[in-house]
Amino acid sequence: MIEPTVYEMITVALAHDLKDGDVGFTGLTTGSAAARFATSIPLAAAELARRTHAPNLTIMLAGHFHNPNLSKIASLPDSEFSEELRDLECEIQSKGFPNHPWVMKRGDISFGFSSGVQVDRQGNLNSVCIGDYRKPKVRLIGPVLQPEHFALFGREYIMMPHHTPRNFVEKVDFVSGVGYPGGLKGRAELGLDWGGPEQVITPKCIFDFDKDAGDIRVKSIHPGVTQQDLRDATGFDLGPLDDVPETPVPSEEDVRILREKVDPNGLLLPQA
Amino acid sequence: MPERTSKLTTMADAARLVPDGARIALGGFAVYQHPMAFVHELIRQKRRELTVVGVVNGNETDLLAGAGCLKRIESSYVGLEKHGLAPNFRRMVEEGTLEMVDYPEILSMDRFRASQENFGFWPAYFLGGNDLLRVNPEIKEFECPLTGRRVWAVPPAAPDVVVIHAIAGDEYGNIMAPTRRLTPQSLDLVLAKSCDTVIVTVEKIVPTETLRRSPHLVEIPSYRTTAVVEAPWGSHPNAVLGEYTGDDEHMEHYAQCAKEGGDSFSGYLDRYVYGVADHREYLERIGLQKFFELRKVEVGQ
Repeated sequence: MIEPTVYEMITVALAHDLKDGDVGFTGLTTGSAAARFATSIPLAAAELARRTHAPNLTIMLAGHFHNPNLSKIASLPDSEFSEELRDLECEIQSKGFPNHPWVMKRGDISFGFSSGVQVDRQGNLNSVCIGDYRKPKVRLIGPVLQPEHFALFGREYIMMPHHTPRNFVEKVDFVSGVGYPGGLKGRAELGLDWGGPEQVITPKCIFDFDKDAGDIRVKSIHPGVTQQDLRDATGFDLGPLDDVPETPVPSEEDVRILREKVDPNGLLLPQA
Repeated sequence: MPERTSKLTTMADAARLVPDGARIALGGFAVYQHPMAFVHELIRQKRRELTVVGVVNGNETDLLAGAGCLKRIESSYVGLEKHGLAPNFRRMVEEGTLEMVDYPEILSMDRFRASQENFGFWPAYFLGGNDLLRVNPEIKEFECPLTGRRVWAVPPAAPDVVVIHAIAGDEYGNIMAPTRRLTPQSLDLVLAKSCDTVIVTVEKIVPTETLRRSPHLVEIPSYRTTAVVEAPWGSHPNAVLGEYTGDDEHMEHYAQCAKEGGDSFSGYLDRYVYGVADHREYLERIGLQKFFELRKVEVGQ
């Protein structure tokens, strides 16, 4: 009997949400917890999907390296533009802006992943600042590619390595990735023709959205996390949780493919 | 035949092409291939009130900020990648002594394309609902005259001076770039087309005869280059793809000094910038042993 880890559970749940023919885009996030959520889990999920139900899925590491062969490297790179990545075996290597093979503004990218310091119930994400913009309490890295992710990609998976009331707030201090203000209708009025957050994945649960109402909702709670744990960790009201299912325990087959084929070197997901 | 004009100059003279208050775009990306030797010289010359206009900025911008050279940054990111947040940038923005204007990443690149095309603005269709609009009065909404769609006019990057670091060029300013390149190298070529004052520092000045044997590798023509400066290891502590890796130890030291601020950061500046007369003395201070460690040798590239 294989005992799956919470990371494997998240990875398999994510893999099941990816579709054949999708084109996925991961960044290269650094820092162990953030990297695991925003880079490793997405790569593993996409590879699992490719090996099961989605053979025509394309996944890009750091937006440059299409369908990389991760079994060829000893550790996940922590530098985006090093020789290590340049020489990573893959299907297509982008030469970078403005000569990327993908056409972002026409909607080539089906899904992406991002992370930030705050997410709110509309699905807005913040990686710019805490407090007032002009004189912030904490200044963060900046919007990077989030505005594009949340407007030009088909679906955005918000990957949050920490689930605390500081990260899950009623209203973000700065919207650098736009969720569902006013729901899908609200997005259309803002000129956002497609896209938006699809799920928010945390160590405690998976959220999705009532996209018409523009409101976040708990889709599943990971085994071992109580309703009270989740409420205590979240800075907004979660509503009734009694009908929310547990995040499904992955099948032995999915876990076996993950461990033996997708990540034989234990590069992406800790196996214990 | 009359003699062709050389554009080869010293770092000090090249840096004097940047006036106080200029909008400057520095090549490289995050912690890769910035023209660091040039940045050091700007600091030695005590340049003030600069605006860095960029895409994804790193230690070069944090260093300029900490040295008191900047009044404003326009970018999508300022940070040190695996070495963490950019400490001077963070502290100064939090204090309100440095103005930050945030732009989305692809749009930051498009702003340079706008300058390349001599456009008055770049049209962006995907900004609705983003707080970047709330805090940036320079982005103006309009209605597309053909379709009625909501569009935002985004100001071009409009740098006064562009400075990039490349592997090789000749004394006339023809600059080579490797065929195998990634975003930092590709973006440098976009920058070089966005402005009429283009300074290129190179690892090595090579004879024009060398370029003529590989003309397909020359990506910036002499007539776009204003000045060229030879600066071996000119991106240290950053990496130059195919030439040398980043000096992680130095970057950690930098991040630590910048985080501590005060005497710790002025000590860094004294040791590596003010305390050396020029780039050669800087290299001596870093020491041969380090360069042996960082050197990449690629056979058959």
